[in-house]
Amino acid sequence: MKNCLGIINLSESDNNMNLLCHSRPTAMLPFAGRYRLIDFTLSNMVNSGITAIGVYTGNKVRSVMDHLGSGQAWDLDRKINGMFIFTPTYDYNVAFAPKFGDLRHFHQNISFIRYAPQENLLFAKSYMLMNIDYQKAYQEFVDSDADISMIYKRVNDPENRFLGCDKIHLDENGNFESIGTNLGIDESFNLSLEMYFMKKSVYFDLLYNAIEKGTAHYLREAVFSGLDRYKVHTSEFGGSVFCINNVKNYYDANMAILNPEIASELFYKNGLILTKVKDEPSTYYKPQCTVKNAFVANGCQIDGFVENSIIFRGVKIEKGCIVRNSIIMQKTQIGQNAHLNYAILDKRSRVKEGVTLIGDPSSPFVGGKKSMISREALT
Amino acid sequence: MKEGKMIAMLLAGGQGSRLKLLTSDLAKPAVPFGGKYRIIDFPLSNCSNSNIFDVGILTQYKPYQLNSHIGIGSSWDLDRRSGGVRILPPYTNEKGGRWYDGTANAIYENLSFIDELDPEFVLILSGDHIYKMDYSKMLDFHKSKHADVTISVIAVPWDETHRFGILKIDEDSLITEFYEKPKHADSNLASMGIYIFNWSALRKYLVEDEKDPNSSKDFGKDIIPKMNADGKKMVAYQFEGYWKDVGTIKSYWEANMDLLDENNTLNLYDRRWKIYSKNRHLPPHFIACSASVSNSLINEGCQIEGNIKNCVLFNEIHIEKDALVTNSVILSGARVESGASVHNAVIMENVVVKSGTVIGNPDSDHILLVSQNETVES
Repeated sequence: MKNCLGIINLSESDNNMNLLCHSRPTAMLPFAGRYRLIDFTLSNMVNSGITAIGVYTGNKVRSVMDHLGSGQAWDLDRKINGMFIFTPTYDYNVAFAPKFGDLRHFHQNISFIRYAPQENLLFAKSYMLMNIDYQKAYQEFVDSDADISMIYKRVNDPENRFLGCDKIHLDENGNFESIGTNLGIDESFNLSLEMYFMKKSVYFDLLYNAIEKGTAHYLREAVFSGLDRYKVHTSEFGGSVFCINNVKNYYDANMAILNPEIASELFYKNGLILTKVKDEPSTYYKPQCTVKNAFVANGCQIDGFVENSIIFRGVKIEKGCIVRNSIIMQKTQIGQNAHLNYAILDKRSRVKEGVTLIGDPSSPFVGGKKSMISREALT
Repeated sequence: MKEGKMIAMLLAGGQGSRLKLLTSDLAKPAVPFGGKYRIIDFPLSNCSNSNIFDVGILTQYKPYQLNSHIGIGSSWDLDRRSGGVRILPPYTNEKGGRWYDGTANAIYENLSFIDELDPEFVLILSGDHIYKMDYSKMLDFHKSKHADVTISVIAVPWDETHRFGILKIDEDSLITEFYEKPKHADSNLASMGIYIFNWSALRKYLVEDEKDPNSSKDFGKDIIPKMNADGKKMVAYQFEGYWKDVGTIKSYWEANMDLLDENNTLNLYDRRWKIYSKNRHLPPHFIACSASVSNSLINEGCQIEGNIKNCVLFNEIHIEKDALVTNSVILSGARVESGASVHNAVIMENVVVKSGTVIGNPDSDHILLVSQNETVES
């Protein structure tokens, strides 16, 4: 896949993520004990053999920069190719770029793609979570000589987990017909994974057309409006997909990891998921602890009762605590005799002694980053 | 000479033959320890945390795993534009090939490496010990005493003095006498094998010692006594804290078990003095509904469905349902099948303990070392 440039676009909606996306974009949501969503997007590309990746950060830049660093964790700190990061800029002199939308961002950094030696592009987002080997879909794209190729998954979705996502219609021969929005009317449909392979010339054509005619502000819109002009191919993905676009889906995707089959698919199938290294020691289980059905990262010290939960790096759970059905993020401390059920606690939170926090499976309690939760504060 | 500059020379060629099967494929410094480390991670992390960024690692015995572990040193932040970590294996010259012959000879053979870095002080370390130490404090002490040599010492239990090189010091920390493994000692300060030398002085002694046909070319046996006889100023730096030489299977097992004591003085959780290691990017571990886990250390990628108590588990270990493991150290990739039980043992990498097997006796003092093909009693 040397001839393919990876493009990760982080301008994703985070309106339904509650406090969790207060200071971070969706791509930086902590996931499964030690990862961020973007780790899956990056690792999938790297494990498939893509060596040059551009990341368009969106507005909440700090956490992105902090996590990505030089790209070393993904082996992308390279002299040749590697990781390129584009933050938003504001330039009064640029008159003709759109006033808003990610096309503005793409247009401002147009020379990156223009002068990159690769001839094909792969666009991906982070909120569609999976472990995918792109090589098969890429080969299909190249062999079909299509202008654009979209990756989809045939899903059966009675619980409407993919509401509002893009839905691809194929004709009886399996050829691309149209793309629209899933309103939850059909129980099974072809979910677009919002991953597109595109010839570079097509990208420039879409971009210039959208800006000159003023027909689109977002790349997604531009792609949709241009589909009748191009040869469109589709590739099916058969693995598990999680769409992290609201708190409930985020919670459910984390809990799904407690199924060892899903965990082994997501973490091992097409290569390991790479992330920033923290050099935490092993997790210490104290003599009196009880832990059942839990996914636990390194650096934790556990003295209480933990069940059906995801525990991130460096978490402390003190004596007498009961933690059930919860997601406890990095370096959070749970004081003695606290009781948590259906809770999501963001990084570096402190739950004081004896506090009870009870959420609901459909709407878990969410504690924001660095929150200090005491009994006094709750009453 | 670059004033104030100290470099470290880390002796990592040791075979560690008393560790038996554990060192059948690798040098002692590469032996896995504490759930996720190799022994050499301790001195290397100490260097990095002490702001020593020039580290020469002298390898000799079965170096492959050690070399691939160290790489370019990025795990310890020792991949530097200038300096950084350098692996120094024995080499050939116009007189032929020579193995390192004694600790002092190993440094002598790399005179040109040290000369190029041109330090004022050289820190000699061994890759065999587990401890956390701020070498910059030892250097401050060395400078404040205007010493030629500073030897780091630790108080050991009186009944163990016969196992160590013992030093006697006066009230100014000046070293007055040496005893190598004495039967009856009147001091309990043991040398930790950590030395700071003024490089100009050490260089001279290394060159002279090399010419001495009767010398065993060892720091403790030759260089230090000769410098002492010449009246060089030698002081002892007293270290307090955890320090362990894991020389035997039993002491290896004990040192691992020490980590399960909540009040152990090594404290791996201290964020101000992290121990770094090569990372394998494995997912977190999974504790199943059927599992019971107590007083244990567990690393990434493990899948625990059985019962473990007082154990140190490395990564990607699978303990199946109804298996029982107590008081044991299990190295990466091992599997204990359903119905098997393991007590007081060190299970080596990728060993499969078959269903129904019983290894070790919970009431015995003996520690078993288990590899794929054989079991050795300590």
